[in-house]
Amino acid sequence: MHLAHLRLRDFRNYARLDVDFAPGFHLLLGDNAQGKTNILEAAYLVATLRSFRGIGGAHMVRHGQKGYFVGSQVVGQGEHETKMYWSARERSLSLDNQPVRKLTDYLGVLRTVVFCSEDTLLVKGPGRARRRFLDLLLSQTHPTYLSLLQRYALALRSRNALLKRPLVDAAALESFSRELISAGEVIMRLRHELVPKFSPLARLAYRRISNDAEDLRLDYLSSVKHDFAVDLAQSQARERTYRSTLIGPHRDEVQMLLNDRPAGQFGSEGQKRTLAIALKVAQAEYLTGLHGSPPVLLMDDIMGELDLKRRTGLLPLLERAHVARGQVFMTATEANWPKELGRDVQRWIVKGGTLASL
Amino acid sequence: MPLLPEHISALIGALSKLPGVGPRSAERIALHLVQADPAAVQHLATALVDARERVRLCDTCGALTEKSPCGICTDSRRDAFLICLVERPVDILSVEKSATFRGKYHVLGGKISPLNGVEPDDLRIAALERRIPDEHIKEIVIALGTDVEGDATSFYLAKRLAREGLRLTRIAHGLPAGTGLEFADEVTLSRALEGRREF
Repeated sequence: MHLAHLRLRDFRNYARLDVDFAPGFHLLLGDNAQGKTNILEAAYLVATLRSFRGIGGAHMVRHGQKGYFVGSQVVGQGEHETKMYWSARERSLSLDNQPVRKLTDYLGVLRTVVFCSEDTLLVKGPGRARRRFLDLLLSQTHPTYLSLLQRYALALRSRNALLKRPLVDAAALESFSRELISAGEVIMRLRHELVPKFSPLARLAYRRISNDAEDLRLDYLSSVKHDFAVDLAQSQARERTYRSTLIGPHRDEVQMLLNDRPAGQFGSEGQKRTLAIALKVAQAEYLTGLHGSPPVLLMDDIMGELDLKRRTGLLPLLERAHVARGQVFMTATEANWPKELGRDVQRWIVKGGTLASL
Repeated sequence: MPLLPEHISALIGALSKLPGVGPRSAERIALHLVQADPAAVQHLATALVDARERVRLCDTCGALTEKSPCGICTDSRRDAFLICLVERPVDILSVEKSATFRGKYHVLGGKISPLNGVEPDDLRIAALERRIPDEHIKEIVIALGTDVEGDATSFYLAKRLAREGLRLTRIAHGLPAGTGLEFADEVTLSRALEGRREF
């Protein structure tokens, strides 16, 4: 699968851009604030309709303009054309010139995995970041997962609202407990099934990048010990004290162990960074295994953070994407681009909202 | 842009409070009205006031009606021991259009929604509980939506209304009639499978 054409209008610092990309490796070079990451952001937007910078549409409109347009041609199983327009008043999305009615029809046209420096939050950050990582992966691979998550979130918020009342209505609380349990049990089961499949991929990726004998293992630690319904009933007294729901998939953790020690606590900065990249590599491999073709990799300035040894460990993965007619986009400044990448690289110079091939 | 006359602005303000009417539509309607035939506007105004004055909720079932009890509650050809429980008055119209239900109705007036401060006491549950012995009700069909709050409310009612001699049922959910499987989304399909029945 690859992004064959990208068309931008008033997107970030690009007034107009029409550019063709071949499969393979693309290196986006340029100084800071010239628009390198914006290209990755546009590709991610085509894939997910969101920004990986975690912000809304208004920030992506070029300064002083009304709205932005992002269009693309994607070659995967067949060829697809996407068009997206966003302004404060109007937004539209079409796939092959048909308006998109259901998101599930659209998502999956382009699959991407993004690597950025915020990924270290997966290791260092709160449990929420790791749960979100699992949820994102399951949403991409399991058709009903997203709506289950939404049902769970609403049942949870409703339940917590009931628990915060001065007088708790036990019957109403029980009605929402039932909803919480029925969605929560499926969520936990799917996550429980995913982690053992995902863990060996992450372990292998970590080994390859770090060249170390350190052993990585991921475990899903559930806040539910036996049965969600039984445990929830038993936590009743405590939840009345804390006035919120204390167990369930929203409290579960993904434990990451390096040689049996929690990486977030005991790992060095370098180990944490390597681990974060390994998780993303494993994500890409998991998606490749499931769909038969590799996702487009979007790597935002991460090579500069790795030493030569670790960069070399990452190369085989990138070369494999090349062989499978996949595609990799990587941003770097002139000073830190990984020169060991070799000759099969399409280099682009990004300057002030323009893109020129070298 | 020069300011609009005060009365037009006031009209736009009032119109934009209506459901489905944004500021742009409100402006268009207001500008149309102030330039329309006075008799037509008078007719509209009378229709609005009359409708609001005459229409009320049925004391028994909660449907929109001009006289209470409403036409459905007083219809002797209907099964008087069967009640269909719906969330809003407009839901009665939907069920009636299907022309397969020959019982009476009860409007709940909402669903339990802790996030919007709607508690069981805010709904017309007590009124329904009085109707059960008074009208010798034999079956209640719960016809609420299947979102989280609808499901939780249905479950709550099933427990609260349970009593000797009363049958509680819930409308089935699954595939839309007359379509193939390929048009059903995954959630609907998985629910349809869970609710499968013996031939």
